Amino acid sequence: MSLSDLVLSIADNKQMLGLRYAEWATRAPSLEADIAAAAMGLDDLGHSRVLYGCLEPLGADPRGPERESDPASLHNLAYFDDPWTQWSEFVAANAILDTAFTVMIEACVGGSAEVLQHRLRKMLMEERYHFLHGRSWLRSGIDSAPLNRAWQEAIEWFGPPDGDTAALHRQGKLSMGPGELRARLEEQLETKATHADIDWKQWDGVRRRGSQGAIDAHTFGMLRGLEEKKYAPPTAKPTPL
Amino acid sequence: MTKYQRVSGDAVEYEVFARKTRVEPLHQVGSVVAPDADLAMAYARATYDEERWCEMAIVRKDDVIHLWSPGEV
Repeated sequence: MSLSDLVLSIADNKQMLGLRYAEWATRAPSLEADIAAAAMGLDDLGHSRVLYGCLEPLGADPRGPERESDPASLHNLAYFDDPWTQWSEFVAANAILDTAFTVMIEACVGGSAEVLQHRLRKMLMEERYHFLHGRSWLRSGIDSAPLNRAWQEAIEWFGPPDGDTAALHRQGKLSMGPGELRARLEEQLETKATHADIDWKQWDGVRRRGSQGAIDAHTFGMLRGLEEKKYAPPTAKPTPL
Repeated sequence: MTKYQRVSGDAVEYEVFARKTRVEPLHQVGSVVAPDADLAMAYARATYDEERWCEMAIVRKDDVIHLWSPGEV
């Protein structure tokens, strides 16, 4: 896996995280939390745009035409495959997965790729507020199931001890390898990762996840603009540019 | 003092102050309700980020000390 593949994975995951956050903009436990969900959703969707824009300068855009038709070609974690039904799923994603992505972005900013050093720095400033939000809600206590799942998927996403992330670290393209990323995440959250039993043989190194599956059809259709067509009047014709 | 109940326990009100440029004073722009300062910071930034700002600060409403208004007995 190249650095471009890793950046695409961050971008796809941030895009899905942003969409899932936005789905809670009218369902969070308080008006303030509604607004925070909307704001963080916008932030992460914006971050994904910046990250997609880094692919070409990095020299190899790994996105292929299959992304237009196959939801399983997107490199998002299984955690984002379906809309969250519980607030605790939101909190676990906010505290653990969002912070895991931030830690990886720190590793990119500290690495040797100049385009990432320059373009990703502002994200780290915005992510400080996501972190405060997630950590505070996490401290208030949540169900263990989404928490364990988020930890498992974060550690899987960092990659195996001797895999591609470690190689990118050795090459200087990332300032942290899998072990350092995990330690940094634990340090940030002031807690140890819950026990994760990972079978790296089953791990998909391209999508950086241990299970199969893909985002739901509605979300994929919306991403591709297919849902938009449902709301167009039957007589509507595309407006010439 | 209004008591706010939240899932994580009692929440308190924080006043939010901001300024657009360094040369102007901080203005009160609103308030947020949160159980702790971390969440209040996140809520303040999310809620009052629509306008440009160079400094934003929050203060627990309980910590604001009011003077007597002129003529107040």
